[in-house]
Amino acid sequence: MSRDIKVDHVTMVFEGRGQPVIALEKVDLHVPTGRFASIIGPSGCGKSTLLRLVADVMQPFAGSVTLSGVSPRKARHEHAIGFVFQSPTLLPWRTVRQNVELPLDVVGRKSTRRSAKTPDELIELVGLKGFEGALPHELSGGMQQRVAIARALVLEPDVLLLDEPFGALDEITRQRMNIELLRIWAESGTTALLVTHSIAEAVFMSDEVHVMSARPGRISGVVDVPLARPRTLDMMRTQNFYDCVNRVRDGLFGRDAEPAEHGAGAPVEAW
Amino acid sequence: MAAAGTLQRTWAASWRPLTTLVVLIAAAEIAQRAGLLPVFVPSPGQVLAEAIQDPRLITENVGQTAWRAAAGYGIAASIAIVAASAAVLVRPLYGPVYNLGVTLHSIPIIALAPLLATWIGNGSQLQIAIAALTSQFAMLVGTIQGLRAADERQRELLHVLSATRLQMLRYLLVPSALPYLFAGLKIAAPSAVLGAITAEWAGADRGVGAMMLYALFAYDPPKVWLSVVLTCLLAASGYGLFAAIERVAIFWEPGATLADQP
Repeated sequence: MSRDIKVDHVTMVFEGRGQPVIALEKVDLHVPTGRFASIIGPSGCGKSTLLRLVADVMQPFAGSVTLSGVSPRKARHEHAIGFVFQSPTLLPWRTVRQNVELPLDVVGRKSTRRSAKTPDELIELVGLKGFEGALPHELSGGMQQRVAIARALVLEPDVLLLDEPFGALDEITRQRMNIELLRIWAESGTTALLVTHSIAEAVFMSDEVHVMSARPGRISGVVDVPLARPRTLDMMRTQNFYDCVNRVRDGLFGRDAEPAEHGAGAPVEAW
Repeated sequence: MAAAGTLQRTWAASWRPLTTLVVLIAAAEIAQRAGLLPVFVPSPGQVLAEAIQDPRLITENVGQTAWRAAAGYGIAASIAIVAASAAVLVRPLYGPVYNLGVTLHSIPIIALAPLLATWIGNGSQLQIAIAALTSQFAMLVGTIQGLRAADERQRELLHVLSATRLQMLRYLLVPSALPYLFAGLKIAAPSAVLGAITAEWAGADRGVGAMMLYALFAYDPPKVWLSVVLTCLLAASGYGLFAAIERVAIFWEPGATLADQP
């Protein structure tokens, strides 16, 4: 089972030093069931805050967030949410397998909510077979983040939230991880929401890209990505891909701010 | 093979400090014999002779001080860990617990020991109480710091998983507190020994502190020095014991995932 994500007129205000700061203003967002959506925007536009509202780490100041009609709190208590942080956030005293099993320990092993895949199968899925007994500090950053992804999937979440999961990785690892993540997502059938600040990554991964602007954080546009699935690296050279990238860029910077000769065929910036 | 490896590592880690110690002792011996040191500073040989001459001096006094320090340490550890946990888990308790810890730690023991002796008597209970008082603060601070050491992301992770408060403690807060707790336990061990010895000055018939006091009044420098050496050995072995346990208990690299944060 998978759920849609509905963010309705959400406003978020933080009490800053002295005066309140409006982090999000009347944000609307809808991700249909089973889709892969991403949120892109400049630093400080509140995209991570938005993701945390969906995960019930914070509660909105005004407006509402629902996951297939239920509140994030209820969805969280039903263990329907998987969250991958920017840093792997593994528990350093637990081995790879124990880290992947952490959600099972919390929910209780007898719970019905658990993935059709065992922790060992998930570890194999993220390409870490043979490292089950390793401790986090023995792994590279990329490997640690794979463990985090396996951990997020072990309860077979209806909604998978990803907060710049590969932001700290080098480009080569990042591309490989993105392709793997898409493969895993396709197998799991969950609804995914990815926060990123890379245009190319957003387009490559998503069915739809929600573009945000900062101060106050707002959704300034949505770009549909009509590329077929499964996505391949070759698609990144197609006209379709460039068009989407340009539309996202227009949404971010406005058409006028664009340097003149950035047409189709020009190299897309790095991830 | 593995045993040989461990032995080799131990040797590699300890030959430098051991050599330094041997050189220092030899230097003191030579300096004393050459008449470079005042007469009231005994040579290491004289101190050693003192110990060999009367081994009961060591066996009877060291055991007394050791068990009193250990008992005080144990009591302090139990109370400090419970109080610190309460302070972290129940917000309103944080200030009072911390303040009480600081205040108790600030009391001059040398004045408190005789005062307390008139109240609870100068038997073992006095030395145990003082050892507990001198060692509590490091363990209190270690536990409080430790229980607050888990980072925000790790807390969010457990929150998204809907972990209960108890699960939060078990899966996150307690393990991430252990490195800090061990730091506190290591610092507190010598403090307990020094506390017990100071308390013995307020009138104990046995113990390294009592031995030290008698030797001072009897103007017996080698015996005073022997009691100083014994104190150091006791304090250091207390530290070493917990350092050894820590090596086994903390098998991960504390803060390993924190370091990866951009």
